[in-house]
Amino acid sequence: MQIAEQQSVKTACWSCGADVSGPLCAACGKVQPATEQDYFAVFSLPRRLSLDTKVLEREFYRLSRRLHPDLYARTSELEQQWSTEQTSLVNDAYRALKDPIARTEYLLKLEGMAIGEETTGKKQQPPADLLEEVFELNMQLEEMRMGGDDPQLRSDLENAKKQFEAQLAQADADLAALWAKWDGALAEGDLTAQMASKEEMLALLDRRRYVRNLVRDVNAALDGQSGDAPTP
Amino acid sequence: MAYSDKVIDHYNNPRNVGQLDKSSSEVGTGLVGAPECGDVMRLQIKVNPETQVIEEAKFKTFGCGSAIASSSLATEWVKGKTVSEAMEIKNTDIVKELALPPVKIHCSVLAEDAIRAAIGDWKKKNGVAEGAAAPQAVAAQ
Repeated sequence: MQIAEQQSVKTACWSCGADVSGPLCAACGKVQPATEQDYFAVFSLPRRLSLDTKVLEREFYRLSRRLHPDLYARTSELEQQWSTEQTSLVNDAYRALKDPIARTEYLLKLEGMAIGEETTGKKQQPPADLLEEVFELNMQLEEMRMGGDDPQLRSDLENAKKQFEAQLAQADADLAALWAKWDGALAEGDLTAQMASKEEMLALLDRRRYVRNLVRDVNAALDGQSGDAPTP
Repeated sequence: MAYSDKVIDHYNNPRNVGQLDKSSSEVGTGLVGAPECGDVMRLQIKVNPETQVIEEAKFKTFGCGSAIASSSLATEWVKGKTVSEAMEIKNTDIVKELALPPVKIHCSVLAEDAIRAAIGDWKKKNGVAEGAAAPQAVAAQ
């Protein structure tokens, strides 16, 4: 689903008429009606992916304090309503932006890429070599789990865990490199490079999800193994 | 979100788990994945070269209950059908049969993709053009 482009749309403050972007008017400090702002706009941020989460956190706390519904007990009913709505928008925005993966997924969605479990349309299949690799790794993992009393099993699983975790770390490093590519293309207004980096991020997130599942499954196998009874 | 009884049944008693000889000319293999959840599904069919009937089907799926149930059901449905009949199976039929919720519709899409991929692989092996009816006699690869 394409989310309409509304980056840096400025509206006038309902109270003082100054240009506003974000939940509060910078000039008079009044709360603004909650519009369908994207999460970057909530924090008056460009759609960059490299983001200082310390700064984001500070801004989140500042906005949350200023928007706290208790502060609006004596204002008009509309302002009370807006403060509640803006508080919840700021919470959602913070949650989506502070986590690197959630932030990347959100940006891709915002930029019109098809992503997420509710995507029902026909999509391109992941590359065959990735599928074969993942299928093979899953088979190995299953064999190891079926290994029962095999003393070799635990060390095999530990090795697999190391291997998967290294792949996950590699995926995160690759993602950070793609952020830089996106941020650079955004700054230069290079639409071709923006599109290319979006496609690459989408493919990388797909790969990362497979690797993440392998890490999860190997951990589950190791946990199950430490118990007395083997898990079915 | 609760799984339907049919999903739970297929999940607990999956039909036709296993594998067929990938190198046989009568066997088509489809390996597909749903990257949004990290599932991977392999579905194989064994086709009678005389009658074009799918005589055997096996699957192996690493994924959630709905993905396992969808592929299990898919193997049940393709068995006994001709290749062209099996191409008619739609993901929406699987959704209906298993009462899949909207967030799990992609599992049924995956199963449909797997059927098509397996048939596509079989056709390729036997020199059948996509979309064309299979010839009566096929040369082994």
